[in-house]
Amino acid sequence: MAWWFWPLFLFVFTLLIGIISPVSGVGGGVLFVPLCTVITPFNIDFIRGAGLVMAVTSALSSVPYLIRKGLASLRIFAVIAPVMVITSVVGGWIGLWVTNAYPNGKYVIKVLLGAIILLVFLVMVLSKRVEFPEVREEDRDSLSKKLNIWGEYYEPNIDAIIEYTTKNTPLSIVVFAVIGFVAGMFGLGAGWANVPVLNLMMGVPIKVATATSMLIITANAPAIGIYLTKGAILPLIVVPSILGITIGARIGAKVAEIMKPKFVRWLVLIILLIAGVLNVIKGLQGMHVIPHILPGV
Amino acid sequence: MTEIKKGAGKEITVDEMGLAFAKIMTIFTVIGIVLMVLPAIFYFMGINQYVPLTEAYKYWRQSASDFWLNVTGRQVTGYSWIFDHLDKTDCLSMIGVLVLMITPLLAMLAGAVKAENKTYRTLLLIAAVEFIASILVKSIAAAAGGAKKATKLVKK
Repeated sequence: MAWWFWPLFLFVFTLLIGIISPVSGVGGGVLFVPLCTVITPFNIDFIRGAGLVMAVTSALSSVPYLIRKGLASLRIFAVIAPVMVITSVVGGWIGLWVTNAYPNGKYVIKVLLGAIILLVFLVMVLSKRVEFPEVREEDRDSLSKKLNIWGEYYEPNIDAIIEYTTKNTPLSIVVFAVIGFVAGMFGLGAGWANVPVLNLMMGVPIKVATATSMLIITANAPAIGIYLTKGAILPLIVVPSILGITIGARIGAKVAEIMKPKFVRWLVLIILLIAGVLNVIKGLQGMHVIPHILPGV
Repeated sequence: MTEIKKGAGKEITVDEMGLAFAKIMTIFTVIGIVLMVLPAIFYFMGINQYVPLTEAYKYWRQSASDFWLNVTGRQVTGYSWIFDHLDKTDCLSMIGVLVLMITPLLAMLAGAVKAENKTYRTLLLIAAVEFIASILVKSIAAAAGGAKKATKLVKK
């Protein structure tokens, strides 16, 4: 196959991921990395490098629009980011140590991680009032009141302005610290975990949860340095992917605004299911419990 | 508390902090993408390449370290492969990626400047400092790892 086929393929492929990404609150890496390792001839190093730049760029392209529409909350981000960035750095250091000391340990943890994602999936399937969770005045914690965490957005599907606030803020900060640690340790994006915590624990509407998750993903940008210093970012792979994701994410941000909350919920559920199953498979094949069915692991 | 206001129109309130954050993020994302894409167009046209397209095509199945060893005869550690070859279109394109990497930091600083209260200003400034520390830690760790690997290869 001629060399130009693959950059062209990446452009179309990432355009589609870009549309899904802001609607679901997942950076795109969770779909791009596993699928590209199966479909394209590129080494996993270059796919991971491109996946990260792509996930960050899709977030950077859609977040400004989502903030202006009141969907992404900078107030929630400001509370979470200082904790999450630092635990992700600590997680990264410990991850390097674990990889060197126990080379197979990462596969066991991948299976556990997959199991946790599938558990979150089940909790979200069984949960009620996910689209617009009810947070009463008496449910609000003192931190939420003190920091005046609130926001509002226009919901075109019911022609109403939705005003929201948060509950369980201190506990959620602890959970985000753990998510940052796990994400840093295994070099994962954390969109799969951000959305359920924001929605189920903090009580923000599902569309605000997905949009704010995109905002949180921008805090993963420093990890790009890892791939740049290893030479794992090639223009041949990254540029068509970025162009595709940027155009797609702009379309996706507009789609996210008008999309029915129920549809967003099911999209998040499907992505959680895919991410959970892929992690379990990767872990089990790394431990040689099942045959090698996913390449690049 | 959660409130659904029907018939309240479409106008919503977004604070200055959020608007400043969004404005800076938009500007630098566009700059980053343009700086990445423009040199890449020349690269795809075959002009002044550090890694020729045919060579990249030949070795892109290999790991990043083997790729660079085969294409340039040496390992890549740190940012010198970019800054030492800014006259090459593919390396110049990486400046755009660097701009995208620091864009959230610039947006946080803009948000902090416009924050209406001290708490949010402090939180965003802490996040910005941690962001810088994170860039340094992750880049140094990766460069150190690469250098260690290169030393092992030389010893072999």
